Amino acid sequence: MDDDLIIKTSNLTKSYGPHIALRNLNISVPKGATGLLGPNGAGKSTFLKTILGLIQATEGEGYVMGLDIRTQGDAIRSRIGYMPEYDSLNPDMEAIHQVRYSGELLGMNPTIALARAHETLQYVGLGEQRYRNIGSYSTGMKQATKLACALIHDPELIIADEPSNGLDITARDYMIQTLTNTVKNGNRSVLMASHLMDDVERVCDNFILLHKGKLAAQGRIEDLKGFDREIEIHVWGGASRLVEAMTKIGLKVRREGRVMRILHEQEDTTSLILGCAAEVGAQVRRMHEYEASLEDLFLSIMENLGYEVKSSEDLLASPIQARKVDAPESMGGGSA
Amino acid sequence: MNESTPADSNSNDALPLERESPEAPVTGKVRLEAAWGSTEGDEDLTVNQKPKTKNEGHVFEQQYKPWNGQLNPRWMRNWSILRHHLLGIFKKGHRPWGVPIRLYLLVVFVASLTDVGMTLISGLVGDSGFHSVWGVSRDNLYAHVLGFLPRNMLYYPVVAALLVGGVISEDRQHGTSAMYFSRPISRFDYVSMKFISVALIQALIIHVTLGLYYLAEIITMGRGWAWIIDTLPMFLATVVSGFLLIFTYTSIGLSLSSVSKGKFFPGIALLSIILGTKVLAFIVSNLFDREILYLISPYDCLAHVGQAIIGTQPTYDQYSWTWSLASLAAMNALALYVLSTRVSSMEVTRE
Repeated sequence: MDDDLIIKTSNLTKSYGPHIALRNLNISVPKGATGLLGPNGAGKSTFLKTILGLIQATEGEGYVMGLDIRTQGDAIRSRIGYMPEYDSLNPDMEAIHQVRYSGELLGMNPTIALARAHETLQYVGLGEQRYRNIGSYSTGMKQATKLACALIHDPELIIADEPSNGLDITARDYMIQTLTNTVKNGNRSVLMASHLMDDVERVCDNFILLHKGKLAAQGRIEDLKGFDREIEIHVWGGASRLVEAMTKIGLKVRREGRVMRILHEQEDTTSLILGCAAEVGAQVRRMHEYEASLEDLFLSIMENLGYEVKSSEDLLASPIQARKVDAPESMGGGSA
Repeated sequence: MNESTPADSNSNDALPLERESPEAPVTGKVRLEAAWGSTEGDEDLTVNQKPKTKNEGHVFEQQYKPWNGQLNPRWMRNWSILRHHLLGIFKKGHRPWGVPIRLYLLVVFVASLTDVGMTLISGLVGDSGFHSVWGVSRDNLYAHVLGFLPRNMLYYPVVAALLVGGVISEDRQHGTSAMYFSRPISRFDYVSMKFISVALIQALIIHVTLGLYYLAEIITMGRGWAWIIDTLPMFLATVVSGFLLIFTYTSIGLSLSSVSKGKFFPGIALLSIILGTKVLAFIVSNLFDREILYLISPYDCLAHVGQAIIGTQPTYDQYSWTWSLASLAAMNALALYVLSTRVSSMEVTRE
């Protein structure tokens, strides 16, 4: 297993009777922050359970930090901090003791676990609230406590399942900042399952997209966002002539009425657009760079590119299909 | 007054100079020079100038602190589960047993010491008739563990019901099972440590008081080795009966706890099984003179086996005690099967 990879699976398959929950997953998760994305039922939870070594894969193999998920589940779980999506705290316990107990369950000495619980609760921002019963906590504080439980033994990999679930804007920002800080300053890896693309974008460098148990895409978020950059212009007069002129010189244009999007492939795309406009006498009244949201891109991958395995390089290699992502059908979007 | 007030610190901002050494006499000259610049020796004075510090109060700075310690092996993890449940009875910071449960345990513990107290009194009074009622004998040893009223009706089944009620069901209710299974805790370790925890708390009440009872007899009556050797088999048989009772109640109770998400159902269901089957068997026995239904009653099977191994007068005479033992084994096997099946299917990512 490559040293830069923290998780690697080969043809990982998990089936429950006739139902195939994970189908031939070939996933490589590098160190750093990675977002695990997918709609409900995509297989995210099954994937997490499989890499935690809690359920046996039906076929294929997988390694987490070089440890075999089939035979070294205990060792893997010792080195992972898992933050579940759902409540996993006893409401009648004080946060400090809950976190301490979570450390003891890993094999930490009680005294050391208590000292470390103070540190981690301070880190997640609950320093002054740590002696309160968890039952009296807000959702944000409970999420922070779960994160403290995951961090108590300073794991190499933190698996956070929907860490910002149910949080208000302030608490969500703080959670995202804490995870980012853990990755950037703590030099830890995070695998973050989330429905919120914005959160993933803020924390993660890489992504994995699962759909119906298959790997739909994986790669770097930056690549994914970069492949579909376009320039949007609003034209007054001579729009059709302008489209013709731009197409003639090799620019790829999508048009809906007076609004056009031109694929930003070259450095001088702007000059070329303005040159064409001057040539045909069209007025460009507005021009700005258009960047599809991450969410649009993911929807497009699932809806238009099928569910075959795609890396970000594959996506970059098929920009024409990808360009049709968020275009309405009238503009040639829809099916790729 | 040594500490400076905010006003002082403001004034010091304007006069950031200090004397060269603490021993130098305070003449006011340095301040005067700094204020008016009346001399050319400013360089010497500025050498001693401290960097200006501003009191900004405590500002939280999020800083990740690594930990380089070693994690202990499996036995330590198991010990932490046991410790968590046991110490929760006595102090805060561990499993939060409810106050009513803790109070009831205390009441039952004290009440279970009745025969200890009476043995001590009989020894002090020196009345042999009084002692024959309360002192150690086959019947009294049997009664300490398996006596119908109050111990095996009001004390031990209720204690078991209160203890097992939330032990697993609360993990399902609060999702705390994820905290166990996302760590290197196997399902077997999880359930066995919970089982042992609950069993130990019951043993604390049943066996510790039984031991004290036996010890009180030895001390009060000045019993020698001959008496101890004579009575030790029946004492050990009583200990075994106690273990059987604890094991049976705990396995049935935990299996009920594993199929529930609340405390009430497992508790009340355990009491219903223990006492309800006994009542049913009793009614059938009286109406139809058939004792066979005692075989479905954990209480009666325990009593029958207890009577046989301790050696008291049997009250079940239509069938052999080995049938009761087999029935107990079957009940425990079924309960443990349900328990293991339910625990092995407990979710980690969602419950």
